[in-house]
Amino acid sequence: MVTTVSLKDALLGGAQEVFETMVFMALEEVDVAEECSEDVSLLGSITFTGNIEGCLSIRCGLQCARTIAANMLGTDPCGDLAECDINDAIGEVANMVMGAIKSRVQHEIGTMEVSIPSVVQGREMKHGLGDQANEIVVNVSIEEQYRATFSLLFRESELA
Amino acid sequence: MGKSLLIVDNSATMRKIIMRTVRMSGLDFDRTEEAGSGVEALQKLQSGPVDVILCDVNMPEMNGTELVKKARQLPSCSGTKIVMVSTESAQDLIDQVMSDGADGYITKPFTPEKFQEKLTPLLN
Repeated sequence: MVTTVSLKDALLGGAQEVFETMVFMALEEVDVAEECSEDVSLLGSITFTGNIEGCLSIRCGLQCARTIAANMLGTDPCGDLAECDINDAIGEVANMVMGAIKSRVQHEIGTMEVSIPSVVQGREMKHGLGDQANEIVVNVSIEEQYRATFSLLFRESELA
Repeated sequence: MGKSLLIVDNSATMRKIIMRTVRMSGLDFDRTEEAGSGVEALQKLQSGPVDVILCDVNMPEMNGTELVKKARQLPSCSGTKIVMVSTESAQDLIDQVMSDGADGYITKPFTPEKFQEKLTPLLN
C-alpha cells in the first residue's frame, strides 16, 4: 500500500510539474496555511476510485485563480476573463495534478478511475469523505504572491 | 496545401491552451476547429475531413476512445491522424487506444516541444 509520505511526495511533485509546465508559475510548499484575505475562494475537485478512493482538491482565492487562468491562456490577468474560464482553468489544474499523482503511484496501487473535475466558488469551503478517511494537506506559495491549499482525501476501497 | 486541425476537449480552456501550445510549437495549420464533445466532433467529421485530430480521453457523453473507434469507421477519416491528449498515463490504456486507431498519445502536462515531437512525423 502506498504510504502517506509517498502520496504527499506525489501530490507536491505533481503540482510543481503542472505549475511549471502549464501555468508558468513557481510553486513551493510552505509550512503553515495562510488564511485567504479574499472573501470568495474557489474549490476545484476531482474524485477517484480504485484500490483507494477519494478526492483531490485545490483551494485558492479568486485573484490567485484569475492569475492561474490568465497564465494558462496567455492573457492579461487584469483583462476580460470570464468566470467560466477561471473555473475551467482551476478544474484543469485539479485534473492535471490528479493525472500527475496517478502516474507517480499507479505502479504501487493499480488502476485509478478519475472523474470529470468540478469547481465551485464560495466562502469557507471544505471537502469531506467521512471519519475513516486520511487527509494529506499541502499548503503552497505561488510565485511568493499567492497561497493555495491542495488536499488529498482518501481511504481504502471496500471493494479492494 | 495547408493542413487542418480539430481539437476535441470538453474544457473550453483546455482547447484554448492546446491551440496556444500548437502555435508555440511552430506547427502550421491553415484551418483549426474545435469540438466540445465527441458527438460534436463526429458531426464535424461527417461534414468534411481534417488532417489531424487532437482528442482528450476523459470526456462526458462519449469518451475519446469511443470517438476514435467511431471516427475510424468514417470514410472521410481514413487519412486523418488522431493524437490523444490526456492526463491518463496508464500503459494499458495507451496500448488500447492505439490499437483502436489512434496514431499518437501526448500526456498532460505537455510542452510545445512535445507537440512538435509527436506531430511533426505525422504531418510529413
